[in-house]
Amino acid sequence: MTQLTAGVDPARSVVFAPLSDVGRSELVLQRLQNAITGGVLHDGERLPSESELGRRLGVAVVTVREALESLRDAGLIDTRRGRDGGSFVTFDPETARRFVDARIHGLSRLDLRDAAVQYSAIAGMAAEIAADRASEDDVAGLRELEEQADATTGTGARRAVARFQLEVAALSQSPRLVREELRLQAEIGSLLWLCLRDEHVRTRSSAARGAVIDALAAADPERARSVTLQRITGAVEWLLDEKTRLELESDASAS
Amino acid sequence: MNGRVADHGQRTAAHVQEVFLPVFDLVELWRGEIATLFETFAASGRPLTASVLDPLMHELASPALSAPQGLITGAGFVATPGVLADAPWHLAWWLREIRGLDRGDRGGIRRLEAVEDPESDEFRDYRMLEWWRVPERTGERHVTGPYVDYLCTDDYTITVTVPVVHAARMVGMVGVDVHVSRIEPILLPSLRDAEGTATIVNAQGRVVVSSETRRVTGSLLRDAEVHDALAVIHDGGRTSTVGGTTAISCGDTELILVQQR
Repeated sequence: MTQLTAGVDPARSVVFAPLSDVGRSELVLQRLQNAITGGVLHDGERLPSESELGRRLGVAVVTVREALESLRDAGLIDTRRGRDGGSFVTFDPETARRFVDARIHGLSRLDLRDAAVQYSAIAGMAAEIAADRASEDDVAGLRELEEQADATTGTGARRAVARFQLEVAALSQSPRLVREELRLQAEIGSLLWLCLRDEHVRTRSSAARGAVIDALAAADPERARSVTLQRITGAVEWLLDEKTRLELESDASAS
Repeated sequence: MNGRVADHGQRTAAHVQEVFLPVFDLVELWRGEIATLFETFAASGRPLTASVLDPLMHELASPALSAPQGLITGAGFVATPGVLADAPWHLAWWLREIRGLDRGDRGGIRRLEAVEDPESDEFRDYRMLEWWRVPERTGERHVTGPYVDYLCTDDYTITVTVPVVHAARMVGMVGVDVHVSRIEPILLPSLRDAEGTATIVNAQGRVVVSSETRRVTGSLLRDAEVHDALAVIHDGGRTSTVGGTTAISCGDTELILVQQR
């Protein structure tokens, strides 16, 4: 018996654990903020109405309203009244960068690494199963997708990676892995793939995706998994280095 | 191979067809309705819009999606880009409300929230997907899957699509989704009666359902005998026996029964 679970039936303790209902507005805020600062939602794009957002996210309208207020205060959206009114994304690269930097700064090394561990569990397993289950047609489809990938900009490369990871998850034939992949992309994708700002990383990332495809083609689950895990580890290492750089920078400016 | 096994195989293959027949009939009916709508508008000289098409498609799809424990879990029309005056890209698609581990009915249907703005990150060019690409090329009905349908519900799905043609031009696809979890209990009993192992696979050899639990849904039968037997079916054969493996085409469902001694 381990120290942590001594005398406790873990299955039992989970039954009456609080449902994650608290801080829903915070979750909505985080989700939209990530999407805007990560460039998933574009400058000038109109957000769905409050009631529509509430319905789609499965939360109360008042919760959405709270989150939108915070976004407005942060200067990430602009709300106009009238016939052509609504909430519009105001993405300016400077603001977005400041937000991302603040987010990296605010998260602990432990949390960033832990998020990468969870993502590795999902993406690694997906790649492993996909290697067993991808047909020749599937592999050809992935190669075609890679040929269309835009590696010239950070945003283009991030799109390509998100799409690639989703396709590989789908090739595992597991709906649950696909759902988790999508959820984690929304939560940490914009941070994890921040390294694609760097042109050298983009080149390496593209080569690594090619290596994953080769492993799928060769029906080699171990290789598909290990290449995927290496990519994620590389991404989080880059992120932690960036965090250190930002911390040193802010220390320097404070003193 | 003895005659009894062959007879049983033929009966099982016929059963698979019977299960899909009402689904195919329904899609064919909708194809006609939507084609007529395009003709009516062309004759009157007015441009057809999504605002007119959507209510019709909703009305057509609702009964199939509302039938308790029904096989059909998604249904609708997807437009060829540019054919509708008010929506360059358009999916008029509805989904059965399904939740939980049992993927059971939760009552009601909902519209698919599709991203129709090509500039958006979440936008998917549906013309790249198999359920569009293949029937577009052949001009005929196509059965896609099983696959994880991440455009809709992220469920494990088989999709049937038929091109709608108006004035010698393809104006879109009508189609339905069927969840594999709902097909399993319908097809499995007839497979259990088989001698040896009976497995329903798609043209690539991907398992839909099998009498042998270890033949996992979604995996590929990579056996050399299976590969050779499926190649014969692919070239238009109805049945093919290679060693201890017999493959029997389930007609125009594009599915194949594989029996292994």
